Amino acid sequence: MVSWLTPHIGTQLVDLGSALLLLTCFAIIAQRRLSACVDLFALQSLFLAMTAALVAFLTGTPHIYYAAALTVLVKVIVIPRVLKRVIERLNVTRELVMNINVPASLLICGALVMIAFFITQPIIPFGHLLTRDSLAIALAIVLIGFFTMIARQKAVTQMIAFLVMENGLFLGATAATYGMPLIVELGVFFDVLVAALIAGIYTNRLQDAFDSVDTNRLSELKE
Amino acid sequence: MTKEQAILQAIVLTLAQAFVLLTVSPAIVGLVRKVKARFQCRRGASVFQPYADLAKLFRKQPVVSTTTSWIFTATPYILFASTLTAGLLVPAFASQMPLNFAGNIIALVYLFALGTFFLILAGLDAGSPFGGMGSSREAIVASLTEPAMIMSIFAIALTTGSTNLSTIVHKTALLEGIVTDPSPHLMALAALFIVALAETGRVPVDNPATHLELTMIHEAMLLEYSGRYLALLEWASGMKLLVFLSLIANVFAPWGIATTLTPMALSIGLAVYLVKVASLAVVIGTMECMFAKLRLFRVTDLLGVAFILALLGLLFFYILRG
Repeated sequence: MVSWLTPHIGTQLVDLGSALLLLTCFAIIAQRRLSACVDLFALQSLFLAMTAALVAFLTGTPHIYYAAALTVLVKVIVIPRVLKRVIERLNVTRELVMNINVPASLLICGALVMIAFFITQPIIPFGHLLTRDSLAIALAIVLIGFFTMIARQKAVTQMIAFLVMENGLFLGATAATYGMPLIVELGVFFDVLVAALIAGIYTNRLQDAFDSVDTNRLSELKE
Repeated sequence: MTKEQAILQAIVLTLAQAFVLLTVSPAIVGLVRKVKARFQCRRGASVFQPYADLAKLFRKQPVVSTTTSWIFTATPYILFASTLTAGLLVPAFASQMPLNFAGNIIALVYLFALGTFFLILAGLDAGSPFGGMGSSREAIVASLTEPAMIMSIFAIALTTGSTNLSTIVHKTALLEGIVTDPSPHLMALAALFIVALAETGRVPVDNPATHLELTMIHEAMLLEYSGRYLALLEWASGMKLLVFLSLIANVFAPWGIATTLTPMALSIGLAVYLVKVASLAVVIGTMECMFAKLRLFRVTDLLGVAFILALLGLLFFYILRG
């Protein structure tokens, strides 16, 4: 362990990493261009991997390193490429109509952060891990991802929101217990990868069937 | 030090700061323009061109429409005075401002708001449709930036335990009493930067170089002005830019500022201050070239982001107390 890296500064760096994760969530909400949303998701995953690697370094737990490396491989490289290819095939580059518009979404998400903070407030003081403060942020990211799935209409952005939720869960697991066992992480990564691939194919099918990736069309019954 | 000496020192320091604000602000405007010109592969006017422009405008005879009221002729003076007063509340090269008893960071926000309010009235006063349109847009932008600015300022005030700018800058410069994470500061910095762009009429929100009817905000309100009135308004908007840059530079990175009043510390403080604001001006010039102006109705998205960032800064102070 490097001498200047006291546990206090380590905690601050982990907090900063989680704050950056939350920041990219808000950037995704404010962004209308689909390809920029994918880039922001890749950036968020990169921040997540960096935070996880930092936690691994501070605590000396090797399996978080593997999880961080897998995050870079799956969420920074593979999934954004898949999503980019899906977007290339679509005839839309930006999301113009939303169920809830951008300023209102931003305010609601601000409120969600507050809710997450108040929910975790009674639990956090009992924690003794150096990552405990990130729990509130992890919960906030999960809530925001969930909200974004409701607020957006395009299948691609709903997909990204789902992945953002997964990032929040990963951060939560790291914050609460220094990560899940490696076998669980591996399973989750595999699930997420397959989910992204399936959703990519599903989006293409949606495009072929309705000439649009608006998921509201799915509520119409078709012979 | 006797009481008389202390008072004399305070007066000299205040006058020195006023002098720096007045003389440096046109150069900052010139620097932003020069950076933009270089990025657009133009040679561009000299950095000192705004001084010549101001001197020329002061010599010209002002033309005032007969339909205007006293507000039209009073506004340039009110805007100039309120901006200069606001500038004296922000520490520039010395961390302890003699005028810090006169107002804190909230007073600063509302001194700017006073100037904006009169500018909006003056835009309507001449009765030209462009002026009215500019006023209406400025009112939208001003009402959206104000909460973001107040929130980001509160986020900073919480971390240092004071709303007094001199105390905030002094404490941060000496690194005393700073116990929290960098995250609230980071969020507040991002929010305040967006607010600064919006308030000083910079590119994603307004374009200071255009006189195209459909897009202008700040320029539309100044359309009816000429001569020394226009010179005062231009000078005031340059000063507003400089005050925002000083605020960002000294609240978030005050290191190098003179914390004592020795001649050595003051001269180092002044040199560091000039370097800091000049580099921020280069950043702003670069950003103006990188981004396109937003449609007016998309400005709410950007300022919404600024508000949320500031709110997050405030929340992080409580969430991440470690």
